[in-house]
Formats: sequence, structure tokens, C-alpha cells
Amino acid sequence: MLSRVADSLYWMSRYIERTDSTLRTLTINHLSAQDNPKEFTWGPLLRIFSNMEEQDIIAIERNGRQVLQYMVLSRDNPNSVSNLVIQARENARAVQDNITKELWQCLNEFYHVVRDQRLKQALQYDDPATVLDTLIRQCMLYYGTTDITMFRGEGLCFMNLGKYLERAIQSADILDIKFSDLSYDLDKTTDTTYWKHLLKSVSGYALYLKRYRSGFEARNVVDQVLFNNDFPRSILYSINQLHRSFNGLKNDQNTEGYSKVDFLIGKLRSKLQYSNVDSVSRIGLHHYLTEITTDIYAIGNTLNQHYFAYS
Amino acid sequence: MAATSLFQHYNGHSSVWDEMFANASDIRQHYQNVANFLLTIPGDELNKKEELAKRLFMSQGITFTVYSSGEGIEKIFPFDIIPRIITASEWDFIERGIKQRLRALNLFLRDVYHEQFILKDGVVPFNLVYSCPHYLREMQGVNVPYDIYVHIAGIDLIRDHDGTFYVLEDNLRTPSGVSYMIENREITKRIFPDLIPQNHVRSVTHYPNILYKNLMALSPRKIASPNIVLLTPGIYNSAYFEHTTLARLMGVELVEGRDLVVENHHVYMKTTAGLQQVDVIYRRVDDAFLDPLVFDPNSVLGVSGILSAYRKGNVAIVNSIGNGVADDKAIYVYVPDMIRYYLNEEPILKNVPTYQLGKADEQEYVLKNIDKMVVKKTNESGGYGMLMGHAASEQEIEAYKKEIMKEPRHFIAQPTISLSSAPCYIDGKVQPRRVDLRPFALCSPNGIEIVPGGLTRVALREGSLVVNSSQGGGSKDTWVLSI
Repeated sequence: MLSRVADSLYWMSRYIERTDSTLRTLTINHLSAQDNPKEFTWGPLLRIFSNMEEQDIIAIERNGRQVLQYMVLSRDNPNSVSNLVIQARENARAVQDNITKELWQCLNEFYHVVRDQRLKQALQYDDPATVLDTLIRQCMLYYGTTDITMFRGEGLCFMNLGKYLERAIQSADILDIKFSDLSYDLDKTTDTTYWKHLLKSVSGYALYLKRYRSGFEARNVVDQVLFNNDFPRSILYSINQLHRSFNGLKNDQNTEGYSKVDFLIGKLRSKLQYSNVDSVSRIGLHHYLTEITTDIYAIGNTLNQHYFAYS
Repeated sequence: MAATSLFQHYNGHSSVWDEMFANASDIRQHYQNVANFLLTIPGDELNKKEELAKRLFMSQGITFTVYSSGEGIEKIFPFDIIPRIITASEWDFIERGIKQRLRALNLFLRDVYHEQFILKDGVVPFNLVYSCPHYLREMQGVNVPYDIYVHIAGIDLIRDHDGTFYVLEDNLRTPSGVSYMIENREITKRIFPDLIPQNHVRSVTHYPNILYKNLMALSPRKIASPNIVLLTPGIYNSAYFEHTTLARLMGVELVEGRDLVVENHHVYMKTTAGLQQVDVIYRRVDDAFLDPLVFDPNSVLGVSGILSAYRKGNVAIVNSIGNGVADDKAIYVYVPDMIRYYLNEEPILKNVPTYQLGKADEQEYVLKNIDKMVVKKTNESGGYGMLMGHAASEQEIEAYKKEIMKEPRHFIAQPTISLSSAPCYIDGKVQPRRVDLRPFALCSPNGIEIVPGGLTRVALREGSLVVNSSQGGGSKDTWVLSI
């Protein structure tokens, strides 16, 4: 497969994963704003998902409609949903002959949905949860179409690499920002709605209720998001899937690149497998998350160097 | 009655050949079925079908992007829902004519880049070839596989007032539009289900298979699965959709210049598993941008050293390089003579009478009768740089004359030919609009094949004779009937 094509597939997939993550987080934040209008602010979300200046964040952090416009439609926000979808679709456009026609049409239609003037209107006046839901459905359509139509091969491997790498980063970021509110103190208890919303924003609420029966505790939340291998958005799960997809790229030609990336993924997997909440709390959650994300970025850079370098 | 109202605004011009109406009340035999079918459809349904066609083009991404103020806007090439129909006998004539013409043009290119018999025998003047900007001395003496220069040709045909077909232009470099031949047919299948089989329309879907087979045959390495690629200028090219469609339908890799590299006179593509040798390149990049070492040094679309790999025979390039010397508008004048010279046959398809401004007597005649002429630059295409004498103002004509006098060799003139008209569904009414026809011919070591169909371009503006998509033209599905 052409390096440029591999690169585009990887980024197409990363952008959609980021879109999905952004949309879910927006939905949950919107819902918690309805639960808790006095204390709720959009500040933490804007700090993760945008590169806005602090004073601009403070200016709009209590205005939900304005935040939604900015996060979904703004041209100036490189991480707005519409910019992410445009990027995903531009990447797909450049590799149309390497994805199925169904997948291309799916992304192309998503693009036309975010470019439609009616979306702006709807975000301003309709129920935001409903509007965000229709967009999330486009992402689900993408995942389903990929699963059902995409040929199993190198291309799908690169798409999965992008997907799980991005997902691991997103989960780490969400955890990091949420706990920064509590100065990373895992024993600090706050009201349970706080944890509920965090779990919901990574679709982990139902699993938490089944698995951890002792009520809402910060330690359990950290355990689920970092180490629960049954939770499809945990970092451990994402890295395990990354490892699995990467195995699919093993061949006789690029052995040097393969062993370098394989080494980094293996190292990170071991680190996650042989950590637990206690060891994390000893070195500090923020410190631990920083190490993990640095390792993930190193994997991305090495992939880039050995698989995507073409110009 | 709905029946009369659908066609009642159809005011064909008496001096124009109409594809559907023999005269005001008489529908030609081969259009009868479609006309009857259209009359059975309630008016509103046709609008719905038009909408459906637009939506299908949009959602499938059969679009081109226009960039304005930093933001891309997706446009579709206008599509008219009523098919253009060609009878079996008309097609037979066209097919024979194009095959003959292409045989001669390939021989001409072989000759011009080798012994130049046709120049030495005085049939085509030396200075016309050497002054042609598309004549590339870099190709002189280069042997190309099977002596085929033109693997893919798009020959533009028009019909005069009596229905006679004329060749307006040969496109022998990187003719585009074939994806619309294929996609327009797919759209027609969706908007008028069953109509195609009922009318015994010949299929066009095998075009990519033929092309693929031909490309395979050119591989310099005789191996089971040579690497065939389609070289595109990239996603910002207005024909990008076509490049990806053809790559997808043939199952070949779509590459950009930056994906390729030349080492030791071999072309490689950069893959995730290292460099892989490329055997055949179907390029959609113009000659000038193909190799910055030889042609335009500023080109970022091409591949350095690709020409040397080609000259050594290590890679096949389709179409060959330097073909522009054969489809130059001034050389066009000599194509009938080429056919007589190389094949010893009379031309089947006629040329439009053409005057060369480089010749003193013809120049004088043209300038005197400029209001009845279409004047064109020999090295422009896409409808740019044209003067339509009958529609131009006094000032435009004067300004254009000055342009001509600077470099008369670069201009030709043709009497205004009235293109034939075909029925189009516009603003809820069926109205006549002017059309041309571009069939696509494929040359292989085993001969020439022409897929029965082509691209019918329509001048959508009332009274307009310019069908180019860059000048407000649209297209139609083109049916060739088998009986």
C-alpha cells in the first residue's frame, strides 16, 4: 500500500474517532448543564477540545448555545465537529480507491450534513441533545459501514491504528482534565453526579454499575477508564486493540519499522498491565497520564517515520 | 392534455439538425419510445427525477470543488435527464470513421518522431510541426511500445444542419469525461428504471475492463501481475473524481507525483513495505508537468527522471509524451491528408473546413469574413481564447484581430457550424439545446476498440454553441442502440 494512502486512512480514522468523542462529550455536558445549572460550566471541556484563550473561555463558559456553535460549527476552531468531518472527508477523498464506495458515500453524506445551513439553525433553536444525537448517528453509521464493508487488509489495519490511538489519547485527556478539578486527589469524594457525567461522556456508566458495586468512588472510575479490558474506551483496551491491529502489518519487507513500533506498543502494554490504581496514586495520576500520552505520541511518531514518510 | 404541453415549447430552429424531431410534428423513429414514455409521466414526476439525479450526484461525490474565500464548495456538472440517442447505423459510421482517423494519427506521431516522411514529402509543412509548442524534440527517435502513441483518444464530433457528422477536434493527450459516460448511465438506470433494457441500449460499463487489459499488455516486465498506476495531479484537480473512479473500477493504485521516485532509470512507488517498481503509468498529468528535469522545472506534480525511465523502456506511459503535435488545431487541417497519405483511403469522417491564419491568402479571407467565423487559438482547449464572430462586438473583434497579428500561426478559423440540437428538460419544459459527442477510443497492440457511447455535452444556455463544462455546459447520458 502507498505510504500516502496509509497515512490518509490513518488520519481519516483518527478524525472520525475524535469527532465521535467530541460529540459524546458535548451531549453529556449539555445534559449535566440541565441537571446542575448553578455549578455547571463548559470550561473544562473547552480546555480539552479547543485552543481558546483563557479569557475567551471564561467569556462563554456558561453559555451553552454559544459553546455548541463554537464546538460544532466554528471555522476558527480546528477541533470543531465540522472541521473534523471536513478533514476526515478530505482524507477519504484522496483514497477513494482504497475504501469501499459505501464508506466513501457515508463520509461524503456526513460532510453534506455538517455543511448544511439547517444545522446551524437547529443548534440554535432545537433540542441540542437531539441534534447532537443525529450527528453521533452519522459516526455510528461510519463504524458500522467500516465493519461490514471494508476489506480486511492493510488499509483496515491502518484505520484501526488511527482509531485506537486516538481513542486512548481522548480517554487519557478526559481523565486528566476531570481530575485536575480535584487536584488529582483520588481520595477526595465529591457528589456522585460528577462521576456519573464523566463515565457517561466515555459511555462507561452501564458497565460501572455492573462492575463496581460500592457506589461512586474516584479510584474505581480511574480503574475503569485506565485498566478495565472489558471497557471499549479504556486505555488498556485501546492499546491492546492497537497491538492486535499492528500485528496485521507484519511482513518481510519493513522489518526495521515493524520491530521499532512493536517494541513501543509492547512496552506501553506492559506498563498498563503491571500498574494498578494504587501504584498510579503513588506516583500521581497526572504524572502517570503524562507518561502514557507521551508513549502514545511516540508510537504515532514512529509509525509516521517508518510507514507514512513519502514526501 | 399533458402530452401536447410537454413538447409544445419545443421550437427547433429550421436550419439546425434536431436529434429528436425530423420536423415540428414528426418524431424520429429511434426517439419514439422515449418520447412516448416521457408523455406518460405526470409533469411533477419529471421534476422529482431531476431532483433525484442531483441528489445522487451529490451523495456519491460525483462533484468538483470550487474554492472561494478559503472554503470549498461542491458543485456537480449539470446533467440533463433526457438521454441522447444514436442509431446503430449512425454508430457504425462513427466507429469506422474514428478507427480510421486514429490509425492515421498514430502513424503520423510515429513518423514525426522518427523518419518524418510526411514532412519530407511535403504533405505537412515542416514549419507547422516545429513551431507547434507541443512538438517535443525530447521524444525524437524514442521508440514507444508497439508504436502506439495514442492509447486513449476522445474525438469530438458535431452535426451540421443536414445531420452530417464532422470531427471538430481530436483529443490525444489526456482526454477527460469518460467517467461521466459511465456515471451518467448509472444515474439513468436509477431515475428511469427499465427504460434502458426496453430500448436495447448497448452497455458502456466494460470501458475500465478494456482499458485495464490494454494497460496490462504494455508492461515492460513480462510478469503475472505488473504494477499499474494512475497518476493524478491530486485532489484539487477538477477531474479528480474521474481519476479516482477509473482507479477504483480498474483496481489500480491512484498515485500522485510525490508517491513516485526514479532510481537508476526505473520508476518506483513509495509503499509501507518500501519501494515497489512501477510498470505502467496511466497519467492524467500534462506533458509540461511530467518531469521537472526535462520540462517545467517548477512542476511539483511530476516525477524527476521519469522521461529517462520511459526512453529506456523501463516503464510504459499512457498516453505517450508529445502527442500534442497531432491534436494541435493547425495540424488538424492536415488529418484528411494524413489518412490519404498513410492509409491510401478516403477519410470517412469529414473535417470542419478550417482556415490557417498563418497562410496569407486564408488570413485575408478570414479577416474579411470574421463575422461568420469562429476563431480559435491552436494551443488552447476547454473553450478558452475563442472568438465567436457572429456574437462578438466591434471592439472585441478589433482587439482579437490585434492578438491574431502578433502570432498568426497560433490561430485557425472555422465557419460557424450550427451544432445539432437535442431535447433537454429545462425549467419544467422540454427545449432544444445544442450538443456535441465525444466517443472514447482505446488503442491496444490488438487494435482499436470504441465503447458504444460517449459523452454528449450540452450547451445549456439558450442559443449557445459552446458546450465546454468550463463555459456553462452540461452533459447527457448517450445511448447507442443495438437495433
